[in-house]
Amino acid sequence: MSEWVFYFISLCACIFAVLAVTQRDIFHCALWLAMTLLSVAGIYFYLDAAFLGVVQILVYVGGVITLFVFAIKLTAHIGYKSIRQTSKQWAISLFITMLLLSILFRVFAQNPWASIALEHSSTSVAQIGKSLMTGYALPFEFMSVILLAAMVGAIVIGKVKK
Amino acid sequence: MIPLGYFTFLSAFLFCVGIFGVLTRRNVIGILISIELILNAANINLVAFNKYLGTSDGMGQVFGLFVIAIAAAASVVGLILIIAIYRNTKSLFTDGFTLMKE
Repeated sequence: MSEWVFYFISLCACIFAVLAVTQRDIFHCALWLAMTLLSVAGIYFYLDAAFLGVVQILVYVGGVITLFVFAIKLTAHIGYKSIRQTSKQWAISLFITMLLLSILFRVFAQNPWASIALEHSSTSVAQIGKSLMTGYALPFEFMSVILLAAMVGAIVIGKVKK
Repeated sequence: MIPLGYFTFLSAFLFCVGIFGVLTRRNVIGILISIELILNAANINLVAFNKYLGTSDGMGQVFGLFVIAIAAAASVVGLILIIAIYRNTKSLFTDGFTLMKE
């Protein structure tokens, strides 16, 4: 039973990802990306990472997708169906991607850890909070500086020059 | 229980779909969408390895959190750059960006 949940969610994620990359209308692509991110959040819930799943839904589906929709709507008439959305090199790109995929699958299948099915105790939210404030306090602070820099940079770049 | 390998297969597939999108898209917003896919594929691996080879401090989930935050910052800067470029060139297709050649 539990296995089928995983198969269903991952099948959804794969189909939505392919649609997000191949659709012509860029607005539809953004909506398919939202569905893919929701499926990935489902994978996190399946892996007992409930906190990360909630963060994924809040930050990605709530924030980033909204930004994408704003950007698409602010830059008008780019999603017209008559305009070609893929470059001429799509055939060779497909070949390279398939090659990369087969190499990755072969390497992953040969690895000894591929068949590990041993469960460890799940990480609690309290544990994540403790790690963020003790062992990983420095990267945590760096992350807030990066977010501040991104915010200031976005305002400066987006400002209309008079 | 699902073996750990299945999660790596899923993330490898999502990664390759993202790579394909980056290589083929003409639209810059489409390229950003593909980059988000690639970052999510990496994140699935972090969370899955944290679950199966668990560490005491939940390192995988903490780094997954970092990846989500950095990806959000990156997409904010990327989208505002796209809007700035669109103001100047009135185009969003990568083959139209020849500002550096002129």
